[in-house]
Order: sequence, then structure tokens, then C-alpha cells
Amino acid sequence: MWFDELGEVFEMFKGSFPLSFLFFIPIFIIISPVSPVNAAQEFAVYRMQQYDLQGSTFGCKNAIINMEARSIDSKMLTRRCAVAKLQDVTMPKYRDLMTQNAGALLVILPSNLTSLSPEEKQHLQSLEQELMHEQSTVPVYFALESEYLQDIYVDVQEGNSGDNAPTAWEALLSSASANGFQLMVSGSQAEAMPDFEIANIQGRLSGYGIEEQLPTIAIVAHYDAKGVAPALSFGADSNGSGMIMLLELARLFSKLYTNSRTHAKYNLVFLLSGGGKFNYQGSKRWIEDNFEAAEGNILNDVAFVLCLDSLGSSDNLNLHVSKPPRDDSAGGQFYKHLNEVSKSHFPEVKVGMVHKKINLGDEMLAWEHERYSIKRMLAFTLSHLDTHKTFDRSSITDKRETVSPQVISRNTHLLAEALARQIYNLTSQGTFQMFTDTLSVEDNVVEAWLNYLANEPRAAQVLKSDSEVVLTLEQTMGQYLKDVRKTLLKADKRDPEFVFYTGAEYQMNAYNVKPAVFDLFLALCIAGYLALAYFFAQNFHVIYYALKRSVIPVSPKTKVN
Amino acid sequence: MTFFHFGNCVALAYVPYVIVYKCSGLAEYSAFWKCVQAGGAYLFTQLCKMLLLATFFPTTEAVAGSLDITGEFLKSTVDIIDLIGLHIVMSKFAGKGQLKFMIAGMGWATAELIVTRFIPLWMGARGVEFDWKYIQMSFDSNISLIHHISVAMLVWLYSRSDLQKTSLPIVLTLLGLACYRPLIVEILMQAVGLGSWMLLLAKAGFTSVVALISLQMYLSIPSQGTNSYY
Repeated sequence: MWFDELGEVFEMFKGSFPLSFLFFIPIFIIISPVSPVNAAQEFAVYRMQQYDLQGSTFGCKNAIINMEARSIDSKMLTRRCAVAKLQDVTMPKYRDLMTQNAGALLVILPSNLTSLSPEEKQHLQSLEQELMHEQSTVPVYFALESEYLQDIYVDVQEGNSGDNAPTAWEALLSSASANGFQLMVSGSQAEAMPDFEIANIQGRLSGYGIEEQLPTIAIVAHYDAKGVAPALSFGADSNGSGMIMLLELARLFSKLYTNSRTHAKYNLVFLLSGGGKFNYQGSKRWIEDNFEAAEGNILNDVAFVLCLDSLGSSDNLNLHVSKPPRDDSAGGQFYKHLNEVSKSHFPEVKVGMVHKKINLGDEMLAWEHERYSIKRMLAFTLSHLDTHKTFDRSSITDKRETVSPQVISRNTHLLAEALARQIYNLTSQGTFQMFTDTLSVEDNVVEAWLNYLANEPRAAQVLKSDSEVVLTLEQTMGQYLKDVRKTLLKADKRDPEFVFYTGAEYQMNAYNVKPAVFDLFLALCIAGYLALAYFFAQNFHVIYYALKRSVIPVSPKTKVN
Repeated sequence: MTFFHFGNCVALAYVPYVIVYKCSGLAEYSAFWKCVQAGGAYLFTQLCKMLLLATFFPTTEAVAGSLDITGEFLKSTVDIIDLIGLHIVMSKFAGKGQLKFMIAGMGWATAELIVTRFIPLWMGARGVEFDWKYIQMSFDSNISLIHHISVAMLVWLYSRSDLQKTSLPIVLTLLGLACYRPLIVEILMQAVGLGSWMLLLAKAGFTSVVALISLQMYLSIPSQGTNSYY
């Protein structure tokens, strides 16, 4: 009967408990599910830049981590993830991590990057530059501080004391009581995007007359941003402000050019170039394309190329040139107009000229106009920065709050007046203002653009050629300008000038774990408890009789029976 | 955590059951199969309870975190079926008097342990994340072993005709307390805001007091005074 057989099976295991235990354990281990995950905390982390540019590799290679969190100050960091706050991370420590073969680095940034003190800001910016300048295999992640991350940080700091304990026993104790964390970033490994396309958006306003015989003024602004983490690069000042000015200028001049009485004898070309932070790839390709084109070369008769970069704060306006223009050239005239307009209408603005020769030995060009200057075009960049060496142009601190829409509007107004004087040749008009009333710069439009552009990351690798921002820009240019075209450029297959990688933003899971020593301690405690329980059960009759003795005298019936 | 941690939790949860089974004399009477039958009765009772709950008790859309006292009260009331089930187990399955409630309580508690504790432990204690709640769960299963045995004892006492009349109200009160234990725990958790460890301690204290009182009443029954199973 099945009942008997079942009984036999039970009998087999009843007789020898340890043996049956040995019988079941392998089965358990085999059928155990693949670490079910629950109750873990999840937060967004932003991976450091990774790109190849002109044959060299920058940034961190790996992305996937699954390792224990440690304080950056602890001695043993091999195959572990160092957790540190921004102020703890310095370059010597970072290099130390590299030599120790650390597993990863998680940098906790203050939740509000714009409220940093000047020293902190400088520390962050110089750290960014140095991190981006080096190549490493250690994944570096950035996370914005939150309550939970703060807890992890504190726990990790406390766990650090175990490493520095004087005796082995104390180290053992502290490691058993420590609260460890396992940090895990899953998903796909960062991969190269060989078919990544950078979009250039160009549009034009044709002058009055035979188009080919008119001089051209090109206005150029790159639209991408850069910071140590692509997903944190908002680039409000560089180059959100330049883009906004370009769009606003396009709007103003399109109004002028549709009226036959104000149709100037200059062609205006507007270009929003991509890949600006990667040695101005967009401009480079645009120039090449135009020189190669058999007909309709818009760069044939260029009066000057005006590049806009970082114009969203401060009262300075600097015209960066590679070679000081002669006073009677178009560039010299334009500079004169800028000076005059600012003197008569915007006395608070200080216009200056900064001369820096192109260093052909340098791998990176300093300003966008140098791309044009190399090709012997008259070109200059307008910016509030007085040197190209500042870190402000490629930093994650460049956010909406650092930029004032009023300054952008004012600069746009100033620039529009100067340009108008140039193209209408209004040298003797004195204090005449053109862009007022219906032609004035719209403050709220500028502000809306700024809010829109500074709201999402605009790093080059995040902005695909069909992303929403690019499409919006193309559409807006199409409203005002003619022949609006989006040209796409791809890196060469065999010898790519630039390679971008996927994986800008990841989800990191933090699991609260205990070290193996803790399990051993727990096992000892449980064994003790069980021994106590066994002892109690063995000697239960003592309690039993003690209770009985206390009960029986109370109930005299027992004695009668 | 690791498989080791899971092993720890399982040892903490199950070994006391084995100890009690071995030391209480159940092993000598080879009452294993009877315990399994009592466990089967537990499963059947739970099924009946679930059917009843699903059929007659409306689901209350309680906001998470708030306490729905009436709903909890009704649910605990259904737990009276547990007592009836225990009574049936003890009256149907033959066994020596005092062994009866040991078998019923043991089987009942073991079935509950296997059905409600093993899967959470299996899924949870082996996860990457460490949490004290699995150790607490294992402790809790030890407490519920004592709880079930004492409830079985109380039910058995209630069915005895030679129970002193003065003890009857005490037995009923204790049975009521045992029945509404989840509700009391819930209220305690909400009102006093006990932490999980304190709650566990409170449960242990409460259960051992109930167990001691019922043991004393059991001993005061005349026929038990002389022949113990020890």
C-alpha cells in the first residue's frame, strides 16, 4: 500500500537526521532561485564621460559593477566601490584608487549644484577637467545627494573603522557589527556608437540683389554641452545662451528681410553646429562640405563669421580673435559698431577684444572661430569669458541658475544693433536704435527658451540627430529662415575622429548586506539558543513538578481521590 | 544574503520543533503520522476559513498604514474556527489523554510553519539584501509553537468534564485572548509604536504567561496529577 511505502520513506529520514540533511542540501542549492531581489534601494547614477577623440581615449571604460561599498579613505579598496562626497575626492586620492585597482568610484554630489561656495565650485570644476582628461578602467559614477545616500555614506564611513582597528579581534568584531552595502549597477555594458550622427542645422536669409554677388555674414553657435557626466550636462551658459541669441537674431532679421524696404545687401547664414565640445566637429564638417560643394558655396564671399559662446552672465563682452582685424575691414567695423552701441545705449557693458593666436600644435582648438580662421576667413567669437582657459564652458555647474535671461536679452539687443549698423552701413546715425517696439527682443521668449534648453541634458552623446531638442531647433529655424537644412555627419569608419559611447545614466541598487563573519556569529548565537532550548526541554519536568507541587495543595480533592 | 544565512534562519525556526517532538515523549509513542494528520486538518481548516472570509466578509478598502479595527476584529472572529478544528482533531484521533493536545498542537504548529514560513524564508533570506526580519520570523515561529500547544491544551481543558467550575471562565478568557492575539498585536503596534524586536518580546511574554496558566490548570485536573507522560 502507498501508505506503507510513504512510511518507509519517512522512516529513512527519521532515523538519521544528519544524513537526510546531507541528502537535501545539494537539492536545495540546485533548485535555489537566482538571488531574488527585493527591498533594495534604487537611485539614479550618472556615469562619467567616455569618448574617443582624434585617436585618444578619454573617460572611464566600464559600466557594470557589483561590489561592496567602502569609504574612499579605507586601506583596502581592491575590487570594491569607493563611496565619497565631492569634497573628499582629490586627484591624488583618485590616482591612488587607480593604482590600488579599485572597482569603482561613486561620488555623491550636493543635491543643489548651484549653491556651491566659490571654493567648492572651483574644486569641482578642476576635478572635472582632470577626471575627463585621464583614461581609466574604473567606472566613475556621480549621484545627487539624497537622504538614503547620506545614510549609506555614514554607514560606510563607520565601517571604515574596522580597517583601522588596533587588534585583529577588534577588527573582527567591528566587521561583524558593521552595516555593509553591496552596490550594483546592472544593464548593458557601455558600447561604442559607431553610427552616431551629429546634426548641423543651417538656415539663411538672402540679401537684396543677386545672391551670389553679395557678401555673407555667418552667425554660428554650437548647441551641445559638456560636463564630467553627460547626463548632468545642462550647459545653460555654454552654449544655451549662444543658441538663444542666435535664434532671436534669426527672428529679428527675418522680420527685416521680409520687408523690401529693410532688405539689406548682405546674406545672413545661421548655423547651429553640433559636437562643439568635441573640437568643433560640426563646424569643421560644415566648412569642408561648403568648400567641396561645386556650386552654391555659401562661404564663398564671407564678410565675417561670428561665433556665439557663453553670453548669459556678467557685463563683459569679449571679442576673441585669432588675428586682430584691420580697422577698415568688416571685422574692424563690426568691433567699432559694438563699441559705439554699448557706449550709447548700454553703458554698463564693457566691450573688449582678446587676441589669441591659434596654436596648431594644440590638439584642441580654443574657440569655435579658430575653425574658420584656419581656413582664412575673418572670424571671431563673442563671449563674456575673457579667456578660453576657464573651466566654466565644460562643467556640470553650468546650470539654469547661473544664467540670467535679462543679460541674454540685453546682449542680443546690443548685438542686433551692431549687426544692423554693419549690414545697413549706418555709420552716421549716432544714437539711433532700431530694435524697439515690434522689433524688440522678447524677454519672455528668451526666458522660455532658456528654461527649455537648460531643463534636460544636452551632452553631444545624449543628443541624437532625431532627438526632441534637435527637432525643435530645426523647426524653429524653419519658421524664420529659408533653406533650413539638417546635415548629418558621421565619424569615419576606419579612422574615426570621434566615438561616443552609450550608458550615460544608470540605476544603481544598494543592498544592505552583512559580512560573512556576521553569519558565523549569528550561527554561534543560534546554536547557543538552541542548546538552551534543548536543555530547557530536557529539564521541563523540573518546572512541571514544581508547578504540580504548587497546585496540588490548593486542590484538596486530589488527596481524597 | 547567503545560503548560510538561510540555513541559520531555518535552524532557528525548525530545530525547536524537533527538540520538542523528541523530548515531549511524542517520539516514543511514534506519533509522527498523527502529527501529519493534524497538519492535514490544519490545512483543511484554513481552507474553510478562507472560503468563509471570501464569501461573507466584504473587503474593506483600508488605506495603507491605518488600522481597520472592525475588519481585523471580524477576521480574528473567524479564527474561532481554528479552535473548532483543534477540538475535532482531538476528538477524532485516538491517543492517550494528555498526548492528544500535544499531537494536535504540534501538528498544527508544524503545518503552519511549513505553509506560512518556509516560502518567505526561501525567497527572502537568500536575497542579496540583509534584513533582520527573517531572524525575527524564525523566532516568531518558536513562539507560535508554544502558542499552539497551549491553545490545544486550553481547548482540551474546555472539553473536560472534570474541570473545576471556577477555572472555566479563565479558560474561556484565555481562549478569547489567544483568538484575538493578532488584533491585540496590531493595536499594540499602532498605539504604542513598538519596534519589531520589542513586539517580538511582548509576544513571547504574553504567550509564555498564557502557557504557564494553562499548564497550571491542566495540572490541577485530578486525573493528571498522578500519571504524567514523563
